[in-house]
Amino acid sequence: MSVVQRDGETRKWYLLGVLGGLWITGHHLIKNLFNRKQMITLNYPEEKYEYSPRFKGNHVLTVKKDGSLRCTACMLCATNCPAECIRIVASEHEDPSVEKFPISYEIDMLRCVFCGFCEEACPVDAIRLGPEWQVPGLCGDNFIYGIDRLAYRPQLKGGIQSFVDDEERHKAGI
Amino acid sequence: MPKCTINGKEIEVKDGSTVIEAMHDQGIHVAHYCWHPGLSVAGVCRLCMVDIEGMPRVQIACNTTVTEGMKINNTSQKVKDAVKWGLDFHLINHPLDCPICDQAGECGLQDQYMEFGKYDPEMAEKKVKKHKVMDLGPTVVLDSERCILCSRCVRFTKEVSQSNELGIFNRGDHSEISTFDGQKLDNNYSLNTVDICPVGALTSKDFRFRQRAWYLKEGNSICNGCSTGCNIKTYFNKEGFFRVKPVYNKEVNGHWMCDDGRDLYKFVNRDHRYLKASHRQESGWSQILPGAAAKEVSTHVKAGGEELALVLTGQYTTEEYEKIIGIFTKDLKTKNIFHWVNNKESFEAFDNLLIRGDKNPNTKGLLQVFEKNQISKTWADLETSLKAGAIKTVVVAGPENLKFYKDLDAKVQLFSQAKKVIWLQTAKHPALEKLPINSWIIPMKSFVEKEGSFVNYKGLSQKMNKVTTIVSEALTLAEAAELMAGHQISIKPDTHILTDADRPLDQVMSEHRKKNEFVFKRGTV
Ligand code: SF4
Ligand code: SF4
Ligand code: SF4
Ligand code: SF4
Ligand code: FES
Repeated sequence: MSVVQRDGETRKWYLLGVLGGLWITGHHLIKNLFNRKQMITLNYPEEKYEYSPRFKGNHVLTVKKDGSLRCTACMLCATNCPAECIRIVASEHEDPSVEKFPISYEIDMLRCVFCGFCEEACPVDAIRLGPEWQVPGLCGDNFIYGIDRLAYRPQLKGGIQSFVDDEERHKAGI
Repeated sequence: MPKCTINGKEIEVKDGSTVIEAMHDQGIHVAHYCWHPGLSVAGVCRLCMVDIEGMPRVQIACNTTVTEGMKINNTSQKVKDAVKWGLDFHLINHPLDCPICDQAGECGLQDQYMEFGKYDPEMAEKKVKKHKVMDLGPTVVLDSERCILCSRCVRFTKEVSQSNELGIFNRGDHSEISTFDGQKLDNNYSLNTVDICPVGALTSKDFRFRQRAWYLKEGNSICNGCSTGCNIKTYFNKEGFFRVKPVYNKEVNGHWMCDDGRDLYKFVNRDHRYLKASHRQESGWSQILPGAAAKEVSTHVKAGGEELALVLTGQYTTEEYEKIIGIFTKDLKTKNIFHWVNNKESFEAFDNLLIRGDKNPNTKGLLQVFEKNQISKTWADLETSLKAGAIKTVVVAGPENLKFYKDLDAKVQLFSQAKKVIWLQTAKHPALEKLPINSWIIPMKSFVEKEGSFVNYKGLSQKMNKVTTIVSEALTLAEAAELMAGHQISIKPDTHILTDADRPLDQVMSEHRKKNEFVFKRGTV
């Protein structure tokens, strides 16, 4: 906190400043009392603010057409994450055309700074930051999101697909 | 000794050496894939281009012998262009696999591309598809699409392991590495092919997908798998040790190491280790801290004399032997010191490359210390005195690497004839649970957690440094000896648990990658 010390006569007339402040507060109080529609504050949590759908909130792991994870466990997101809050355990997939996939993918939401670097690092559009942002929880454990929560939470209705079509890309020889 | 000029600097080279050897010796960086100092020259990758004065076109450095007065340059634009187009050809059919490729981060293609490439690909053709995830044998997986056909692996199986399993099949852009019909890449040195593969075509089954290369730190050590004493580099991070690779040493192992040695990182990891000391009383096993256990034991050991015996395996450092034998002979006044030999019959075996039958890294060192202290007791002496009950307390410095100590059960029974057994041990083994009442198991530090030297089969003493600390409470043999003799010692608490004491030099070689600090400062432990 910084304190501004003014020199001279004005120091003695602080009462005017206080009264000015009180006037603004009172003005808003009376305005809100008689004109509740235009009130700027929200009655949170009963009322919620509508953010844009492009808001960067909780992560979503996207899925392929068959509902399996798109993530290839390349760990680029974990490498890029400045908060070091992503933990991935990779494993060999039984389908050789998939080869590598994450058996565990955890994000510690309390450490995440929602910078979106993970989203930018991902080469296959497997992780995105979604519009959902309220995260209640009872203990620290509730904030470590695993695959269940990141890819298949009920709000996602079976998983979000990427706009990138792998089959088309494979056919094009990429 | 011809003289030549490389990049404007005059140097003298050995007779008959090639341009690439001369540059390699001078530490001049030259792009290359197929040349390997330990293998013959193939000259197939066409990347090691140099400009030689008087020659109309650029030449490959690996197959050109230096002649008197040769003027060589590899920094000109002409060379850079040649490498760039060479690289372009290598990448025509190369898949975009880096995200799932184990080599990413230490890949020759990535390195050279960042240095010479950075072009927009102009190929409009579809990429040729080849076999992926091919099981070559018990240790190695092949991805043909990623292979650049440098033939290093083929030359390795032909020239070094001499097992001739690998070959190049088909022609043109359909060429593929594979094994001859029905054969498997299965020899004691197969994982060296993974090391020398400059790209991610050959990957190790053991290491596959377990870590990304850039998450690992490294530290040099000496393999404790046999008496050859190969120089190794261990790779680890805070989750433990993940792999071992050979380090070049002309005197000892050259460029290679065996596959068995690569498994040794496993027993040093926490889940395979004793973390606390255990004491077996009437009521069962109870656990205490290692230092406290060694002090507790000292009440039984301190009396010393003829009733005390010490059994040593050849798996500790010479410095530790000197300390413990010094303390036992001088302070505890016993000459009952015995050498536990595991597989005497095969001690002299040798496969003409690296693997030796003596599976202890420091048998020679132990025998030297025995000689210095005039200890001449034989194993038969121990057996008779145990049977006769002349020995009441046995201190056993058990083997670190248990793989070649198959008779642990029998040995536990043998030592159980004494009233008290104090077993100093690094890695867990179920046989030790059968130790009798009044036994202690005290955890020891493993070979990567201490300094010291190993004397190899030909008497070469090699010093090794501490890599990191895994079980900070564990003791070294020297510390245990001091504590058991009732001495006071001060052990500095370890602040670098599972990190190296001094940050290693930046392992990134090429300049452009050093600049990419963001990535390389990450992954801190
Ligand atoms: S948003 Fe940023 S802090 Fe959060 S997980 Fe992604 S990279 Fe890490
Ligand atoms: S960057 Fe994308 S593909 Fe790679 S591990 Fe993260 S989410 Fe998975
Ligand atoms: S071999 Fe190198 S360039 Fe090819 S996919 Fe693997 S890391 Fe990428
Ligand atoms: S598998 Fe590796 S070492 Fe063998 S030829 Fe291909 S790129 Fe070279
Ligand atoms: S290193 Fe010279 S051609 Fe490959």
